[in-house]
Amino acid sequence: MSAPQPTTLSDRIQQIPRHYVYLLLAGVVVWQLLFPIRLPITPSVPTRGVYQAIAAVPDDKLIVITTDWDASTQAETGPQTQSIIHACFQNKKKFVIMNLQPPMGVKLANDLAQEAAKEYGAAYGVDWANWGYKYGYENVLMALAKNIPNAIGDDFYGTPVAELPIMEGVTDIHQVGLVVIVTGLSAMTEMWIGLIQGPYKTPLAAAYTAVMAPIYYPYLDSDQLKGMLVGAKGAAELEVMVDRPGKAVAIMNVQSWAHVLIVALILLGNLGYLFARGRTGGRQP
Amino acid sequence: MWFSRLLQRLFPPAPTPAALYLYLAFALAGSIVLIVALHRLLGPRGRRWLIVFVTFIAGLFFGLEYFYPVHGDPEKNFLTDWIEPVSVMLTVVGALTVGLGIYSLFQVHGRALAQRRPGWHNSLAFFLATFAMLVFGLWEHYLHLPQPPPDVLPWPKVVYEILFNGLFAPLQAATFSLLAFYIASAAYRAFRVRTGEATLMMAAAFIVMLGQVPFGAWLTSFIPADSPAAFFRLEMLGEWVLRWLNTPAQRGIIFGIAVGALAMSLRIWLSLERGTFFSEQS
Amino acid sequence: MGSLEHANWFMRLLFLSLCTIIVASVLLAQRGREMFIRRIPGLTAIEEAVGRATEMGRPIFFSPGLDSINIVTLQALAILSYIVRLAASRATRIIVGLRSPTVFPIAEESVREAYDAAGRPENFRPEDVRFISDEQFAYALGAVGIMAREETATNFLFGAFYAESLILAENGRALGALQVAGCPEPTQIPFLIATCDYVVIGDEYYAASAYLTREPTLTGSLVGQDICKAIVIALILLGVGLATILAPDRNFLLTWLGGGG
Repeated sequence: MSAPQPTTLSDRIQQIPRHYVYLLLAGVVVWQLLFPIRLPITPSVPTRGVYQAIAAVPDDKLIVITTDWDASTQAETGPQTQSIIHACFQNKKKFVIMNLQPPMGVKLANDLAQEAAKEYGAAYGVDWANWGYKYGYENVLMALAKNIPNAIGDDFYGTPVAELPIMEGVTDIHQVGLVVIVTGLSAMTEMWIGLIQGPYKTPLAAAYTAVMAPIYYPYLDSDQLKGMLVGAKGAAELEVMVDRPGKAVAIMNVQSWAHVLIVALILLGNLGYLFARGRTGGRQP
Repeated sequence: MWFSRLLQRLFPPAPTPAALYLYLAFALAGSIVLIVALHRLLGPRGRRWLIVFVTFIAGLFFGLEYFYPVHGDPEKNFLTDWIEPVSVMLTVVGALTVGLGIYSLFQVHGRALAQRRPGWHNSLAFFLATFAMLVFGLWEHYLHLPQPPPDVLPWPKVVYEILFNGLFAPLQAATFSLLAFYIASAAYRAFRVRTGEATLMMAAAFIVMLGQVPFGAWLTSFIPADSPAAFFRLEMLGEWVLRWLNTPAQRGIIFGIAVGALAMSLRIWLSLERGTFFSEQS
Repeated sequence: MGSLEHANWFMRLLFLSLCTIIVASVLLAQRGREMFIRRIPGLTAIEEAVGRATEMGRPIFFSPGLDSINIVTLQALAILSYIVRLAASRATRIIVGLRSPTVFPIAEESVREAYDAAGRPENFRPEDVRFISDEQFAYALGAVGIMAREETATNFLFGAFYAESLILAENGRALGALQVAGCPEPTQIPFLIATCDYVVIGDEYYAASAYLTREPTLTGSLVGQDICKAIVIALILLGVGLATILAPDRNFLLTWLGGGG
């Protein structure tokens, strides 16, 4: 329902046209992108958990990174995936990327992995691989737990995964040392926990968008998740830990001041509300 | 197991790729004939009972495998070895629904285009975009570029990259970015300290919003990290709100969703649903 | 602690009990037993919202969410059916915007039947049941376009919504529409609460469809679920007590819930 036209100052403060709010926010974003005020970033406990989980994977086991995200959440999940890949390469852990939904995630993640692989001199099929997009949700996981080559079939490039050197000795879920879920979609974690972590005790870590992360704190609390990256903040913290400050750190500069602006606007709106309430003698304006 | 041996006899592995495609073609043709025959021969009541039966058997398999007593090492029962092939089979069946979705889209947009309904140009854009991505996506895939890719890319790969990384991904990201602006205006308008609960909610929102960004950590950085007062550092306070206030609530929601999912699954498995979208009218 | 790959006797007993309670409640309801569901506050707003559109002479917009055919969408369509009957009885136009091409023919049929049931088959307009796009944000922007062009007085957002919920709801609010939303997704509840006038959250969504339609399966299932939740709460309290007084290796409930075979 549209609000009545503001007449007093307190009403005007409460009803700043949204276009000005958008302009202010855009201004803050541009200002911080051009003239960033860098503040220190300290890795939090959930982020350290992800790094420690990666470092703790035995050398003869594989890390599976599921990149269940697309371009819409790329600002958060892209840097998360990138910093996880860096952590894997730096700790000399072999990893594969795969994707259950949506399909474009595996292509975006592949580009990130290729770029990082150049930096570390990693070879595709030996140090890392891309299992590709696999349709079937729970059915893929159930099959994967028993027989990975059969369940996965061909990799992203059409090569049978059984022919890749990285897959030597990898038959079922017991050769997977860690699954890292990077996603902007709900319901993926529950599948992995129910079908892989629960029955086979495969360690699980995750990276979520900031909006959905609060839902998964119970799993972190019960140690079903060894660690969790929360949005761009988690990605920035992991970038700091792997000493590769990049997009996420830049995003955090912007996000800091955007949050400050939103808090300031809320306070302003409430000031106007309190003034208006005082004017009307405590009655709702 | 006799059933496994019977299946292996009836359906031996295909000796050559050509034989495999022949098997698939026969299986597809046979399935179509079977479905058409069942559709013609069974009346509405018969069809309903067939659906109920197939639904029940499909749901029974996984449930029974979980609940049936196990023995041996590794622990398994008579259904455990079937989990993998059945899951692979269901994946294949499920993949066919992708085709069903594409067919539905083509049907809806095709009709809009043919009948020149309002917004038909959007349907034309759909077809152009679909075929462009399809053609260049498949072309790029079958180029079988080496890993890592060469510095000079073939032109189909360049076009594919323009369509995917140049158009599709940025468009999706840009639209999602609108949310940042809407959140700002919605938060500014909605957060008012009208009641005690609203004030508490606003305080929690401030703590978490500032605690999640470096600015919040900087704001309370004067509190030593190893002192007893470190709890009042914004990032610690925010983490506390998320772990100790938010987590129990989320846990309760998870339990509720799990019980709800159990109820839904039972209703579908036992075909207890009535009404327009199922079979008979209630 | 045993593996969760197969059930132990406790898991079998627990699941059997929970399933029996739910199935029994559904069957009892289907056999005509009256089941009580408390009033859901957001539902009184539906009549008010439809009435607003009627008074203003402007249409209603309804979105059944973004999912394909699943229980959440089917319940949204059941609520749609109820709202269409209400709107049709007052000769108020209702526009339905759809994302899933699979849901489109089912929604069209549902709306047509609702107009028939309200005794106003002549008021049904096929062009008012519109498939917008299967892409999440293209759908949201298309729906906002409909709200703006048709100047909808009331928007109903019932179903599975995701990130686009804020785009839909914030724009709807800016356009001056009264908005009633119902979504079981916990991540979207804050956004809907900030932008909609009435919100039906979490389990209330499932209760809403049962309350409005009085479909025996839905009512019975809801009552059965509530009894199951009471059992779960009792188990939690027992678990908390045992974890407090017993060491983990002596905590038999922990072992039973491990589920080992």
